[in-house]
Amino acid sequence: MNHRATAAITQLEVVPSTVLLDVIDQLETVLIGKREQLTMALACLLARGHLLIEDVPGVGKTTLAHALSATLGVDWKRVQFTSDLLPADVVGVSILDNHDNRFHFQRGPVFTSILLADEINRAPPRAQSALLEAMEERQVTVDGTTHALDDGFFVIATQNPADQQGAYPLPQSQLDRFLVGIELGYPDAASERALLAQGDQRQHAKTLQPLLNDASLKSLRERCEAVHLSDPVLDYIQALLSATRTDGTGLSPRAGLNLVRLGRACAVIEQRDHVLPDDVRRVFPVLAGHRLTGQVKSGHSAAQAVLAQVAMP
Amino acid sequence: MNVMSRTWHRFLPRQKHKPATETLDGRTLTALATVIFLVQFPHVFHLPIWVSLTGATLVALKLWRHNRPDDALLRRLTSPVAATFIAAATAVLIRMDYGYSLGRDPCVAFLFVLIAAKYAELKRANDATALLCLSAFLLLTQYFYAQSILAAVLTLPAVFAFGVALAVLRDADNPATNTDHIKLVGKLLLQGLPLAAILFLGFPRLPGPLWSLPDDAVARTGLSDSMAPGSIGSLSQSNEVAFRVEFDGVPPTPEQLYWRGPVLSQFDGREWTEHDTRVEAHPQAPSDNTRVHDYTVMLQPHRQRWLFALDTAASLPYPDNPDTTAGITPRVLGQLMSDGQMIAERPVTQVLRYRQSSVLSDTLATNVPPAPHTLYLPGKNPRTIAFARSLREKTTGPWDYAQRVLNIFSENEFHYTLQPQLLGDAPVDEFLFQSQAGFCEHYSAAFVVLMRAAGIPARVVTGYLGGEMNGDYMIVRQSHAHAWAEAHIDGAWRRFDPTAHVSPLRVEQGLSAALPDEVTATGLTGTLDANWLREAQLRWDAMNHRWQTLVVNFNDASQEKLWEKLGVGTPSLMQIVVGFIALSAVWCALIIGLPSWQHKHLPPTERHWLQLCRVLARRGITRNTNESMSEFLNRAALAWPNQQARLTQLNTDFSALRFQRQYSAESDERLTRVRRELLQLAARAWPIGRRGPHSTQGLNKAQTAR
Repeated sequence: MNHRATAAITQLEVVPSTVLLDVIDQLETVLIGKREQLTMALACLLARGHLLIEDVPGVGKTTLAHALSATLGVDWKRVQFTSDLLPADVVGVSILDNHDNRFHFQRGPVFTSILLADEINRAPPRAQSALLEAMEERQVTVDGTTHALDDGFFVIATQNPADQQGAYPLPQSQLDRFLVGIELGYPDAASERALLAQGDQRQHAKTLQPLLNDASLKSLRERCEAVHLSDPVLDYIQALLSATRTDGTGLSPRAGLNLVRLGRACAVIEQRDHVLPDDVRRVFPVLAGHRLTGQVKSGHSAAQAVLAQVAMP
Repeated sequence: MNVMSRTWHRFLPRQKHKPATETLDGRTLTALATVIFLVQFPHVFHLPIWVSLTGATLVALKLWRHNRPDDALLRRLTSPVAATFIAAATAVLIRMDYGYSLGRDPCVAFLFVLIAAKYAELKRANDATALLCLSAFLLLTQYFYAQSILAAVLTLPAVFAFGVALAVLRDADNPATNTDHIKLVGKLLLQGLPLAAILFLGFPRLPGPLWSLPDDAVARTGLSDSMAPGSIGSLSQSNEVAFRVEFDGVPPTPEQLYWRGPVLSQFDGREWTEHDTRVEAHPQAPSDNTRVHDYTVMLQPHRQRWLFALDTAASLPYPDNPDTTAGITPRVLGQLMSDGQMIAERPVTQVLRYRQSSVLSDTLATNVPPAPHTLYLPGKNPRTIAFARSLREKTTGPWDYAQRVLNIFSENEFHYTLQPQLLGDAPVDEFLFQSQAGFCEHYSAAFVVLMRAAGIPARVVTGYLGGEMNGDYMIVRQSHAHAWAEAHIDGAWRRFDPTAHVSPLRVEQGLSAALPDEVTATGLTGTLDANWLREAQLRWDAMNHRWQTLVVNFNDASQEKLWEKLGVGTPSLMQIVVGFIALSAVWCALIIGLPSWQHKHLPPTERHWLQLCRVLARRGITRNTNESMSEFLNRAALAWPNQQARLTQLNTDFSALRFQRQYSAESDERLTRVRRELLQLAARAWPIGRRGPHSTQGLNKAQTAR
């Protein structure tokens, strides 16, 4: 037995390799028939990214946040973005305390593990950028004092498709901050029937057992970093990036780095210690879609077009 | 004995393995039919229609039979017996149609039908190969008729179809699509292009043609050795090119361009013919102060022996290789006769290119006294003779007389026309005193008769007058045909052109300027009136001219010039062969070697992976762009079931080698295995056409048994 196998076994002792599959299985009991999207969301979580869901209301965005937080065993908060939302409503505000005549910082909803930023494109840009800065820096600075956020801070932002009214579309530069953009979409007939039979999914979500904790999540994230990335795969990633840049703006180097991270996370979910081109091809649409066109739905087809013109190694 | 037969068994023809009723499939038949169609097509224009129809019908019958294999009548019609019978019958019919059997046209016609008949009774792949060889020969016979650009372009699709047919024949079981075959053939042809170019430039040429074609009795437009009223008039209605000329310096003006052709001095009262009493003469060296025009003539084949030169030839016609003449007297292409006419060694049956120098002069000096027949008149035109005698008495000398005669044409109501009325037994009398309308042959004939009647030796000279500049060369067409007169005065032959006194425009600007209405009415140059069409026609002629000069006329002389330019002297045959083999080896190495050079920097695993892709592509399993390795190999395993285990193993190994972290011992082991398996797989992918799926399976059984 060689030392690679030994190394794998020592890690397996800390976190069983199948736990991520268990997580997905459990999440799927709540969001029936959305396995691929759930896998991508989990990969996003492992890759320390933030998730953007573009969809019409009522397809299970909030339920996903419920289920995720329950499964991870962490707390979550929700901010409903509206057109009169202020930055302070997101990050928090310093309030004068009458007792000691000093300002005390009242923490806003970003101080949590999972934040559901609902309908982010209904808020004006100022409030949007407050959140996006917090996402990027994982800290907020109010009145000169820096407050660190939760180490596993994870944002699930939802946005209405831009054709719905009252939307402030996120600029492309801001969209770059979201690692993964997915759409949940309506369930298929079988899933919908199961859904209707089961009743209230949100109640069900609250009853889920935590399968992960901070330590195991951290260990899994470390394992992502160790995933092997071979030269042919790197070639493929480079080819994909340059293919997006042929006409006008394409993916940024940061997006390229994110693609690598997401590919590694995907490999970990698939119980592998190396990235396959298949992983890259699988995560590329959710990573590149919203970055290419500014919208998840049209972006996915644009990303598929890029995939179609780059030969796999 | 047994050992012997077993040892030699593999060298013996395997008759018993061959199924008795082996037939060619539809794809092969279609490919062959395409070849035959493309090869036959250019011949349709000059073969009798029944020959073309017979050929096409035989091919169609065969294709029809393939679609309806049970039809007894069709089977009988396409049987070897029927095909033989049809071929024999056609041979007889062709003999009857043409009246002779050994000649270009009947032979080509017979080959045409023979190929179709062979196709009709086609059964085996060997027959198909023979058929392709025959078709290749038929394709070449096209050049017996024309060597123009058009002819060359027409052969290209046929060459392409040959390639496709060979590809289909060679690998009949290969499921590759037509598009794949076309791509393959296109690639091969492109790769062969440089080799063809090297061969074209370097292949040793024989001086002169390799063989000469038997002459067919084909009428050619052009001047003839006789002239009767109306003969040149009808000739000038043809727009065909007589010859092309490249002048070394500035070309003379049109009215100076008297291209001397047949000299007709024998007269029977109606028709002018050549007289055979002339002797060979030598061109006179021009004196220092005369202007000598040097030019190159490209004479279209007219199947006669005369060559054309301007006025007085200052040289004999030489082949066009001025650089290699130093020291050696070059072969002369013709000789000069005492009447100023140039005669070639043999009838001109292909485009003849010769160098010529001339002095422009209307006087042809000669030291031979005029022959008595240049004064002979048969006495059929009594009125003319009487008129001439009375006029001669009124004049002071031959010069004065000639001028008076010319004045008759310009001062009286003479008309220059392409459509003169028909003349009877005394054509000169009728022309001079009744119709007073005629073409150049009428005027020159009348002038010569008037001269002879006055005791001055005279003769008719036919040829061409003028020419049409097209870029840097001149086209002389049949419509430039002309006839003028020569009279022997003061010890030399003097040129007189009575036409110039009737219609000066004809001499200065050409026929269409002199007779705009008639020319359009007769449809002679009617199409040329549209400017753009005329422009296009001239462009096309210029292209054909270049083609003729650069490609068709690329002969031993041009080759020597090329060697000289390259500075290699004249290489021996051995040197050429060695040089060609070396160059083609380099080229082949470039073509075959380049892909591996490109992949040289790749790690061995990637090279092996590309090898595997190529091996599978040979089986017709090609990878889609957006298909991952494992998907591709899984698909390949399904498409090639008896290699499934091997492909699955390769999938695992390649996945490990290409995408996983490498540990030397393990990856070396995998690499060795991959190499071995690849070789095995490649051996099974190769002979897809020869053995077919059944034998491949048999081999695998043997493999597993072992």
